[in-house]
Amino acid sequence: MPALFLNLLKLIFIVLIYLFLWQIGRSIGAHIGPAASSRPTKRVNELVVVRSDTLSGLRFPVGAGITIGRSSDADVVVDDPYASEYHFRIAVHNGSAVLSDLGSTNGTYVNGRRLTVPINLGKGDSVQIGNTIFEVR
Amino acid sequence: MTRNAEAALLIAAAVLAALGVAMVNFASGIGFDAQVALTFLVFVLSFGGVHLALRRWAPTANPYLFPIAAFLAAIGFIEVYRLDRDLAALQRWSLLVAAALAAFILFLLRDEGVAALRRYRYIFLLLAIGLLLLPLLPESWPLYGAEVFGSRLWVRVDLPFGDRTLSFQPGEVAKLLLTVFLASYLADRHLALATPRKIGRLSVPEPRQLFPVLVAAGASFLVLIYQRDLGASLLLFALFIGMMYVATARSAYLISGATLVAAGGVVAYQMFDHVQRRVFAWLHPFEDFTDTGYQIAQSLFALGSGSLTGSGLGLGRPDLIPAAATDFVFAAVGEEMGFAGSVAVITAYALLVAAGFGIALRARDVFRKFLAAGLTLVIGIQAFLIIAGVTRLLPVTGITLPFMSYGGSSLLANMVLISLLARISHGERT
Repeated sequence: MPALFLNLLKLIFIVLIYLFLWQIGRSIGAHIGPAASSRPTKRVNELVVVRSDTLSGLRFPVGAGITIGRSSDADVVVDDPYASEYHFRIAVHNGSAVLSDLGSTNGTYVNGRRLTVPINLGKGDSVQIGNTIFEVR
Repeated sequence: MTRNAEAALLIAAAVLAALGVAMVNFASGIGFDAQVALTFLVFVLSFGGVHLALRRWAPTANPYLFPIAAFLAAIGFIEVYRLDRDLAALQRWSLLVAAALAAFILFLLRDEGVAALRRYRYIFLLLAIGLLLLPLLPESWPLYGAEVFGSRLWVRVDLPFGDRTLSFQPGEVAKLLLTVFLASYLADRHLALATPRKIGRLSVPEPRQLFPVLVAAGASFLVLIYQRDLGASLLLFALFIGMMYVATARSAYLISGATLVAAGGVVAYQMFDHVQRRVFAWLHPFEDFTDTGYQIAQSLFALGSGSLTGSGLGLGRPDLIPAAATDFVFAAVGEEMGFAGSVAVITAYALLVAAGFGIALRARDVFRKFLAAGLTLVIGIQAFLIIAGVTRLLPVTGITLPFMSYGGSSLLANMVLISLLARISHGERT
């Protein structure tokens, strides 16, 4: 009787082990799967101003690169007291758009997180400086 | 949301560990005792602590790394407990310390992430070399090297109180430091190393591109000569070649690496009798059964008698295998949990490696990519080398099975390794 019980216990333990691995394996697929870097990224075309005092609704084509700031030399001139002269830049290399902060005073927020290093932009990302919010389309 | 899934999986791993301990107790007629509760508590405390650190300092980190580590630690711990309760008690302490260190690493890297490590690469290189040389200290010093089973990779300190000796393997930490150094070095140089020279239609690597490969081969060979440690030597070299390949995507490095391993293997076979013994035990384990072949033969018996579902926890005789709690823990699992248990363990390593390379693919910059790939290689190569040794696919190389083998230094280094991987995966774009 105890032998049978031990055998049963042994099998239950092995089943539990596989249940555990199954749980991980099932969910890990999403994390391993086609990686973002190899995923065909949709080309970034333009910046749309979602919220601003003066620019709301305007669209700016990104092209090969674009600079945003308060300076009149910037490609997109934002009239925002919290924006720096040259606030951030989007550069396009091989189809991927990289946003870098140009040492702005108040920072650039991508999807709500303050940028510390240049980041790859994708469609749908939101970029905020001061009170101005852009959306990447 | 995924963090909650992580918490649930970590608790499940703790339950598995406690259940295993209970089954071992039951099989040896003890029934429930404090060990079951203690094991559950230690697993929940250590991995729960790391989990809280992740929530606090790396909330978007990959949530499956630590559950897999916890699973492997649980399965390994059950076998260690089954073999030697004193070792198991020590292993529980190691687990607590290792988890605390992993949490501390997450705290340390909370702002800048692993990018902070890139700047200090030469300090890490010097530290790694220093650590590798540490076991060569003479025995009369307060901090001294010691030879165990013919390999010189231990460092010991006699503690001032009692008769206790603290021993550790500095090589375990050195491999992490070397990985960070290589990732940082290759992040700066990978483009230069990847440009081939064309001779006709054949692209040949430049001699100066092969120079680092030769340096790595030389260093690995020195480890082999002075520490007589086949495993660490192979691990270092394979790690280096693997990272060169990851950084340049050029198979020339794999080919030259494999050639050097083959050549180095032949030379080492001619030069060292301990290598000859290993190879002989690998090819003819039953010829000299009582001496050189004993360990590998016992391991094969264990795996064979384990059959499909094993003898049941606490019901086999893994104690017959020399070093069953450390290098040969996989054979102990194979005996008591059978083929099913061994495959589960290999699956867990495969999942860990897959998750690691996934992190490397999606990391933000080349340094993070190389570091994640290198750390993953360290885990993968170690698991492959020792499992291959235990199952007689390759000669035994004497390396620990990450998270499963008894041993504080190894557990510590591997927990830190996973926390670095977790930190890299935090903030990746999905």
